[in-house]
Amino acid sequence: MTMQDMMKDPLANIVLMHADDKLMLGHMQSDWTGLAPILEEDIAASSMSQDDLSHALVLYDHLAARFDLTADAIAFERDAADYRCCDLITIPDEFDWAIALTKRWFVATLTALGVDRLATIDDEDLSTRCKRLIPEQAIHVRHLSEWMIRLGSGTEESRSRMQAAINTLESDAGMMFEPPDHSIDPVDSFCCGREGIFQEWKTSCEDTLQRAGLSANLALPPESMIGGRRGTHATHFTDQLAELTEVRRAEPAPAW
Amino acid sequence: MSGAANPVSPPDITIDCDPDKLAEFEQRIADGVLIEPGDWMPEAYRALMLRMAEHHANSEIIGALPEGEWITRAPSMLRKLALIAKVQDEVGHGQMLYRVSQELGKSRDDMLRDLITGKTKYHNCFNYPCPTWGDIAMIQWLIDGAAIMNQKTLADGAYGPYVRTMNRINMEEAFHFKSGEDMVLTLMGGTKGQQTMGQDAFDRWWPVALMFFGPADKPNAEQLPAMKWRMKTERNTSLRQRYVNRFAPAAMDMGLAIHVCEKDADGIVTSKKPDEAIGLNEETGNWNFTEPDWDEFWRVIRGSGPCNAHRVALRRFSYEQGAWVRRAIGTGAVATPPAA
Ligand SMILES: [Fe+2]
Ligand SMILES: [Fe+2]
Repeated sequence: MTMQDMMKDPLANIVLMHADDKLMLGHMQSDWTGLAPILEEDIAASSMSQDDLSHALVLYDHLAARFDLTADAIAFERDAADYRCCDLITIPDEFDWAIALTKRWFVATLTALGVDRLATIDDEDLSTRCKRLIPEQAIHVRHLSEWMIRLGSGTEESRSRMQAAINTLESDAGMMFEPPDHSIDPVDSFCCGREGIFQEWKTSCEDTLQRAGLSANLALPPESMIGGRRGTHATHFTDQLAELTEVRRAEPAPAW
Repeated sequence: MSGAANPVSPPDITIDCDPDKLAEFEQRIADGVLIEPGDWMPEAYRALMLRMAEHHANSEIIGALPEGEWITRAPSMLRKLALIAKVQDEVGHGQMLYRVSQELGKSRDDMLRDLITGKTKYHNCFNYPCPTWGDIAMIQWLIDGAAIMNQKTLADGAYGPYVRTMNRINMEEAFHFKSGEDMVLTLMGGTKGQQTMGQDAFDRWWPVALMFFGPADKPNAEQLPAMKWRMKTERNTSLRQRYVNRFAPAAMDMGLAIHVCEKDADGIVTSKKPDEAIGLNEETGNWNFTEPDWDEFWRVIRGSGPCNAHRVALRRFSYEQGAWVRRAIGTGAVATPPAA
């Protein structure tokens, strides 16, 4: 069993989609460590990036056992084209908390739905792992939604900053709905129809937006839209991947 | 990390208060009673305690920056997770210590503003660069190790809220130290390149760790307020000696060589030779060592270190970028103050 076998496996691609989203989300968020607007939220955000990376690790461990690999090899040693994350995540936030928060909230809301579905799959190890992630993922969605509402209904300044962030990101949010691999029937691409999961995601987002006094134009893009999941990544993704693997690549070693 | 006692002696202070109350206060301290925020205390005590707790808090959140910069490059999933957790702890220490300081009468926003305008300081060791992953290993081993040693003596102090915070913090520091030791062991037991990375980083951090405890105290330190009032409980030189006794042999056991180095203005080593002084003095039971460059210490503490400007600028950037969020949730102050 090899990395190539894993990449040819349809279910592995679905798992990687969520795991890689979580890896890059935790990676991006961790860049804020020590720099968030308030210390209390800095600490909360650190917990969430640890959760995201631990969740990625839980899913990589499942794949590692199945394909006789190591979690670190999966996380750090694939070619860029073999990462199934969407490039919404690695769009630079320029340390704008509104952009960072909106992005995390978009992605966490989708991951919650995706993990729910993976937990029902007929694979004992995988479904057990996913069931463990569900409650923590729900906490993320709640925490991030509360922040969307707090800042959306805070001051005029915060409302307009949040609305501007949504306007910047709303069309790129569709990147998340790119099917994770050419080999997968789009109908199965999220363990369910793409349409179905999109509608659920949209409803959930719009509910929060309404309470926040914000609005977004959320539409399902055509399947041909390129968002990274099928391996064609933007340079901001490859830049982040280079940073993620910098130390490891500089000196190949049995242990770090 | 980090911490703690301001290595610069406080300015001479005048203790202007009711002599009976002062005598009673000093008796309580001598009896080992903890002083609580609501208790009577000399104004000078409150001011010095605030200064110390605020300096410590500043050190925690500035100390989060050099390590924070390496999280995205940590070379394995577990190292990445451990480093985020570690830096998160440091930010948490900052938060706890700002609370202690707030209780002594200064708002958090005033403290953050004084930090970014250069009115208040933080621990000098964070003004040095971390050019490689090896520096992250050495910070967690050498600097967190020094912080534990120092903070254990501070936990023996007299001010209740600070003492309780030190006890909590020290439990977490023990994890940082363990994980640092593991990182150093991994490097020194690894490839040639990893060993070089470890040794080079050790050369950068050893003298910084020696300076960590600050210059020698005044000859009458025990009679001065900081020690008389048990704000600190051990002399800097004594702490440094205990540190060397523990870490010099530990470093050598791991295959690290102790050097005396010259550094350039960026904190990068330009030349080095073995520290000939290193060795156990059988008579005293202490390890001999070459003192760090104290001129460099004073230069850096006065603001000309390799990273002073960078660290403060990043804090300031974070303060400015986040102002709108604090305003929106009603905890924020107003405009950003001009730099000092
Ligand atoms: Fe600390
Ligand atoms: Fe620490």
